[in-house]
Amino acid sequence: MVYKPQFYPGATSVAENRRKHMSGKVEKLRDISDDDLTLMLGHRAPGSDYPSTHPPLAEMGEPDCSIRQTVEATPGAKAGDRVRYVQFVDSMYNAPATPYFRSYAAAINFRGVDPGTLSGRQVVEARERDMEQLAKFQLETEMTCPALASLRGATVHGHSLRLPEDGLMFDMLDRTRKEGNIVIMHKDQVGRPIDKKVNLGKPMSEAEAAKRTTIYRVDNVAFRNDKEVIEWVHRVFDQRTIYGFKPE
Amino acid sequence: MSDASPNTDYLQLEIYPSRLLNPDTAEALLNEIAMLEGVVRFFVHGPRIPQTVPYGPATGEIVNHPANKVIVVAGQEIDLEVSVGGVRLEVTDADVKENIREICDRLLPFSYEFREGLFIPTIQTVTDYAKRGPDADPMLLGMADPKGKLSKKPICILNKKSE
Repeated sequence: MVYKPQFYPGATSVAENRRKHMSGKVEKLRDISDDDLTLMLGHRAPGSDYPSTHPPLAEMGEPDCSIRQTVEATPGAKAGDRVRYVQFVDSMYNAPATPYFRSYAAAINFRGVDPGTLSGRQVVEARERDMEQLAKFQLETEMTCPALASLRGATVHGHSLRLPEDGLMFDMLDRTRKEGNIVIMHKDQVGRPIDKKVNLGKPMSEAEAAKRTTIYRVDNVAFRNDKEVIEWVHRVFDQRTIYGFKPE
Repeated sequence: MSDASPNTDYLQLEIYPSRLLNPDTAEALLNEIAMLEGVVRFFVHGPRIPQTVPYGPATGEIVNHPANKVIVVAGQEIDLEVSVGGVRLEVTDADVKENIREICDRLLPFSYEFREGLFIPTIQTVTDYAKRGPDADPMLLGMADPKGKLSKKPICILNKKSE
């Protein structure tokens, strides 16, 4: 029998969404062009070549190494790209993803990435073109709502604050704004103004965000209501404790 | 240090909306509160909005945040440096409290928490002493931005005629 990963226990919509994020089987909701993505990330000018830190691997004459023969380098590593980062912030008010699930999604579904998980933000470092591939995936799919999640390289304050009246997560650097019923980004992820307004699409309605979220909340799907998750969390903690217990 | 606030019979209230207020909503709310008889003093608080990017590669860039706006309260211009997340007030009695609740019901388009408690210090702290000295007016206790310079962020005296 072929092994099929189960990813996450639970019968609630939140558990189902967590499984979706971890497996990478998420719905694509919007299109963001490569140039727009490059503008938002702010690491290089749109359309320019990827700067490199070393020559392409093919030209470097790599040593005879079984690991190098077994594991194929990622496109970014092959080309010698710089390591660059993308950082997301997700609101606690039913944002679709959370830092942990962005990291699971990155580590399970992408190669050559280094996810960093913090309480309010999640950063991924990778070779530039590999990082862009991941950033695009996460921005275009249901892992991101333009109102409740945003690209924030610096000054990430906002994930745990109440939402402003327009429903866009508070951002003291004003990187995103609501124009009509769409959200635009007019600064890059660190707050430098960019040449054009990038259309991030329509924000999710409150009902849709509640349906797509991976956050357990007492005012939506409570953690305590997911019996199977509770059982597994108890089991994990129990076994961790027993494992460390060594009477002599 | 100076003694406690002059009138300990005053009630202290907090309005805590479920959303951060737009400057326009905050202006309307504060104007109604300022016009009310029996409101002794109030201040707004919330997440700070910087004029320029404070750190990172874009340090020094102008932010130009829409919530950073000059609002007019009781005829006085006030430069909002925070996104208004709450209002804390001191009022003379419970009737005023009900009037304020009625104003919030009318002006806030979403739910809010409204509670009575101790939100403004009644005894001078070391910071107050350092900022204002030993003979400070007790009415000014707790009324300054703790991170700001008093000369740059003065306290507005509204409705001076009632003093």
